[in-house]
Amino acid sequence: MSTQDYKSNGKGTTLPKNSAITAKVILESFLKLNPKYLAKHSPVMFTVELGFILVLGIALFPELSSEFVIYGRMLYIQVAVILFVTVWFATFSESLSEAQAKARVDSLRSLEKEVTARKILNGKEVVVTSTSLKPGDEVRVLAGETIPRDGLVKEGKSFIDESMMTGESNPVFKEKGDHVIGGTRIASDSILVEITAEAGRSFLDQMVSLIESATRPRTQNEIALAILLAGLSIIFIIVIGSLPFMMKYLGYMPDIAILVALLVALMPTTIGALLPAIGVAGITRLGRDNIVAKSGKGIEAAGDCEVLILDKTGTITEGNRSAVAFIPLQNYTEADVGQAAFAASIHDTTHEGRSTIDLAEEKKFIPASMEKILAARSIEFSAETRYSGIEFIPSRKEMLSTARADLAASKAVGDASVDSESNVNKKLIEIARSNKNARVLKGSLDSILPLVNNVNEAELKWKSQEVSKSGGTPLVIAVEDEAIGIVALKDELKENIRSKLDEVRATGISTVMITGDNQLTAQVIAREAGVDQVIAEAKPADKLRRVEEEQLKGRVIGMVGDGANDAPALAKADIGLAMNSGTAAAKEAANMVDLDSDPSKILKVVKLGKQLLMTRGAITTFSIANDVAKYFAILPAMFSESNPKLEALDIMQLHSAETAIISTLIFNAAIIPLLIPLALRGVKFKPEQPQKTFVRNMLLYGLGGAVLPFAAIKGIDILVSLFMR
Amino acid sequence: MVEPIIQLITVIGGTLALAVPFGLYIARLIAYETRPLERTLSRVENGFFRVIGIDKNRQMTWKEYFLALILTNGIVFGFVFFVLLFQDSIPILSNPTREGFTADLAFNTAISFVTNTDLQHYLGDQQLTVFSQMVALTFMMFVAPASGIAAAFAFIRAFIRKNFGLGNFYVDFTRVIITLLLPVAFLSSLLLMFFGVPQTLDSSVDVTTVEGRQQIIVTGPVSSLESIKELGSNGGGYYGANSAHPFENPNGLSNTYEIMLMLVIPVAFPIAYGKLLGAGRGVSILIAMLIGFGFLLAVGNVAESGPGALETRFGSFNSVLFNIASISTNTGAVNSGLIGMAPNAVVSLLLAMFVQAIPGADGTGMMTMMVYVIITLFIVGLMVGKTPEFMSMKISSKDIKLAVFIFLIHPALILIPTALAFTTGNAQALVGNDITPLSYTQVLYEYTSAASNNGSDYFGASANTPFWNWTTGIVMLLGRYVPIALMLAIAGSFTVKDRKELIEPIKTQGGLFIMILLIMTFLLTALTFFPFIAIGPFSM
Repeated sequence: MSTQDYKSNGKGTTLPKNSAITAKVILESFLKLNPKYLAKHSPVMFTVELGFILVLGIALFPELSSEFVIYGRMLYIQVAVILFVTVWFATFSESLSEAQAKARVDSLRSLEKEVTARKILNGKEVVVTSTSLKPGDEVRVLAGETIPRDGLVKEGKSFIDESMMTGESNPVFKEKGDHVIGGTRIASDSILVEITAEAGRSFLDQMVSLIESATRPRTQNEIALAILLAGLSIIFIIVIGSLPFMMKYLGYMPDIAILVALLVALMPTTIGALLPAIGVAGITRLGRDNIVAKSGKGIEAAGDCEVLILDKTGTITEGNRSAVAFIPLQNYTEADVGQAAFAASIHDTTHEGRSTIDLAEEKKFIPASMEKILAARSIEFSAETRYSGIEFIPSRKEMLSTARADLAASKAVGDASVDSESNVNKKLIEIARSNKNARVLKGSLDSILPLVNNVNEAELKWKSQEVSKSGGTPLVIAVEDEAIGIVALKDELKENIRSKLDEVRATGISTVMITGDNQLTAQVIAREAGVDQVIAEAKPADKLRRVEEEQLKGRVIGMVGDGANDAPALAKADIGLAMNSGTAAAKEAANMVDLDSDPSKILKVVKLGKQLLMTRGAITTFSIANDVAKYFAILPAMFSESNPKLEALDIMQLHSAETAIISTLIFNAAIIPLLIPLALRGVKFKPEQPQKTFVRNMLLYGLGGAVLPFAAIKGIDILVSLFMR
Repeated sequence: MVEPIIQLITVIGGTLALAVPFGLYIARLIAYETRPLERTLSRVENGFFRVIGIDKNRQMTWKEYFLALILTNGIVFGFVFFVLLFQDSIPILSNPTREGFTADLAFNTAISFVTNTDLQHYLGDQQLTVFSQMVALTFMMFVAPASGIAAAFAFIRAFIRKNFGLGNFYVDFTRVIITLLLPVAFLSSLLLMFFGVPQTLDSSVDVTTVEGRQQIIVTGPVSSLESIKELGSNGGGYYGANSAHPFENPNGLSNTYEIMLMLVIPVAFPIAYGKLLGAGRGVSILIAMLIGFGFLLAVGNVAESGPGALETRFGSFNSVLFNIASISTNTGAVNSGLIGMAPNAVVSLLLAMFVQAIPGADGTGMMTMMVYVIITLFIVGLMVGKTPEFMSMKISSKDIKLAVFIFLIHPALILIPTALAFTTGNAQALVGNDITPLSYTQVLYEYTSAASNNGSDYFGASANTPFWNWTTGIVMLLGRYVPIALMLAIAGSFTVKDRKELIEPIKTQGGLFIMILLIMTFLLTALTFFPFIAIGPFSM
């Protein structure tokens, strides 16, 4: 699968606004106006809706109350309309963010592996997609095919490769009555499987249910903020509720429309309206990076991440070690090592082997007697011997044609490039000529050392260590019983990893690198990448231990994993990001899955988690700061007509009491859609000292929130007064 | 202009100089460290614990602590209630001219003193026997602040370290009375006597005036009441005129000393807090309180108060200073009638009571300030993208819920009864049918004072009607114990939290923190009460 293609496709369909505002969004936003729904999900907007009903009621039936009504029907209708629009803006922003999230999930679905299955229908095999299967269906699975979903073996025996689920590399024998796991592959024979699992328990389905607000579990911070907002609202309800009973006796004329307007203006409607959208948008934005969130908790915890535990391989480094240098031992030259390494790697198809040949070719270290080398028997790498290379096997025919082989070899690569004067070439030619049994090997120091006699052991060890010290891995090259030199392999750092990790550090997160490498190599890479701590020579179980240790100190841990043995640590970590390429166990344990299988994306998750909290904080602060100006707009409208002493409050000099009310309410309503993009996009996040972030956000959203409405309400008032003469 | 500044520097400097040793001593009480004369003191205490049957090593949960507080306060309330009700039948230190209180007045007065409010709907010099003044009220004046201080001890302990324990209420309560309030009050009484405050068991002196007329001058154990009245943020005067009476506050020296006495324990608390939880944090809270206090003083002095009903011995600045110091510490004593205060001074006094934490009453002021800190840190945390935390402990949604309740109950206890007083006509019965901004302010002030357990008021004995006695009584009761319960619940929630060893994203000290804390504190208050200030003192 080409993630690259997908990405460009994904970005292209990131829902330009006009396509998102579909009839469905509009419809859903109206359905959410249901008071029952609002009362449960957004008490602030529910209160606004009650205010709307009250004002509308009086607009329709003015005889309902005369005691607290002084303004005309027109104002009541206007206020009612604006209040309705305010509530609708809130439900609309929620629906819009949900629509975006769902669209994102739909496009992510195409990434989820869908396999074809041979369903048995009336005794015949029909090819269907795995998603159409229902429990009870029977499917036949042949060798090499993937089991479409969890089930029971009905017929047949087979070896099944369950490595992707369990990490166990040996195929497991299964027969009738055994359980098989969806996604595993049949290694031999064929079986008939009865499907037992329902469709739709995948992690994408979990994400969909997360978006559907009815079941969306709210995070601790969301709950705390909702309580704070509800508390503020209740305080303002008490304020506005008791105010008319005092006004009345002081000779003011309290008016319901104005009181409702003041209440709505003071309540934190902006954040109340956008709160659900912010949460959903977080999930969508992760989806845009092809990360599937299974819970909101993980995303939010990401903002608090204090320690990131990162695998070296694949996260910090590319994960493929490449040859970077040939280091000769005494009596040999760089070219000797290159030629010998070329020969030893000729049958090596791994990245390491190919990169060795590439480097040798680049440096024009082509060994002599190529034909012979190509014909030599390949010695495969095995866990037991831990070396690989070639073995020349004596043959009669060869003996005769040695001279010709020499010629052919030099011809094949061009005369100029073959330095027949080099020691190794002489050796190779000598081997070819004498047609004897000989080996050219490469392997780790300790695997080669016992095989060679002719070597200065101290020199070899010292030079190997030098390679390790610079962060590389040394491979010793030996021809027959003589060590020639060392190929230095190096795992290159991922592009930009340094700057990414610097950003992480700037936000106060410490990083821990886990690697199986020796201490020396690990330290060098850590230094180059800018990692704070290293756990070298680590076994898989060390990850879990480390997570537990850090958590005991009360820290919030983020980690990435893909193997089955990562699952416990992923489950334990506060933020667990599993790779889609990893095992099912890992994906099940983690609270997020990266479909691109790019471990460094955990950094994006952390950033997003912070943004999510910041966006809530910023809009809350903005909302509260707005109240200052709103008081100065509405209080003069309520009081100064009958109390000249309060004219001092009228610093905004709005046109009339009616325009003041209408303008404040229009501002209050309009700010919601104006801030939808901010809610969906998130507040800008810069990697820097929290103190700096705080001061900037406070100035922007706090001070800005206090100043902006003065100007905006005044401006709206000027416009409104043109129509309300 | 020079004179007020010198006065201010003397008062603030003197208070701080006193508050430092007080704070360090309070820190020792909180952390159970050895005090000067520890062996003697603990022998006295232990003897007391043994007699009462208290296991001093038993740690209490927040619920147990609160129940012990309520139980103790309840018993004392009952005692005082009955003493006031039947003071005419008590033979000791009696006075035949003093009748027993009505049930509603006894309820109001007993609640008022046990809640550290000291709202007085009676005239002490004309309605109480010496026994009631001394045995009932002066005794209560130790109980009430000791309860608040003990609660603050428990609250601060929650932050010291995990499972340190909230302490044992009975132990804290006893130690606070015996080793903090009693000795200081005793010495202060002597000092006040030296300044000219009377102290006698006789209830009055008959004198023949220069003009030859007979005059009865009411005296009594004034000095012993006066010292704990100021020290314990009580504020209930021996005389109806409170500290405006020359026997309670004879001269400039006594005036200055009384101001310092009111401020010393509330100001000592941030120092104790700093000693236990980081000097920078304590100093920052202290500075925030001082800046807030400075702001209140500035607002109070924008325009000069008086001359009207002002006590001429002290003048505008000293009257406003005394009253702001008294009301910002929720003592509620006044050295000149509120009626003489300029509108701006009234705004300042109301603000002080709305905030309740600059520096606030003994113990509870500090607790309230910490709740402001928690709310501030919640917003701050969100603004920087971290789950909010305080002293490396996560602020949970439960903590926010409790904190929000504390801020919710205050306006509810002020505004709903005020509206009720007007709609039922009880306000009009007291201030007349033509409601002016001033008379409206008087009503608002009454409930504000009751809800914040302040005790200063415009009405005095004229509010001695069943409606006012019962409603203000209930408001005082709820205004005292509901917040204390909620704050102890916060303590209970924090004490079991995991502590981390990480640096705070935004330091809970330093200029930025002080600024943001003050903005949040005043903004929350101003947004809540702005309309009422506008139609009240602002329109006066």
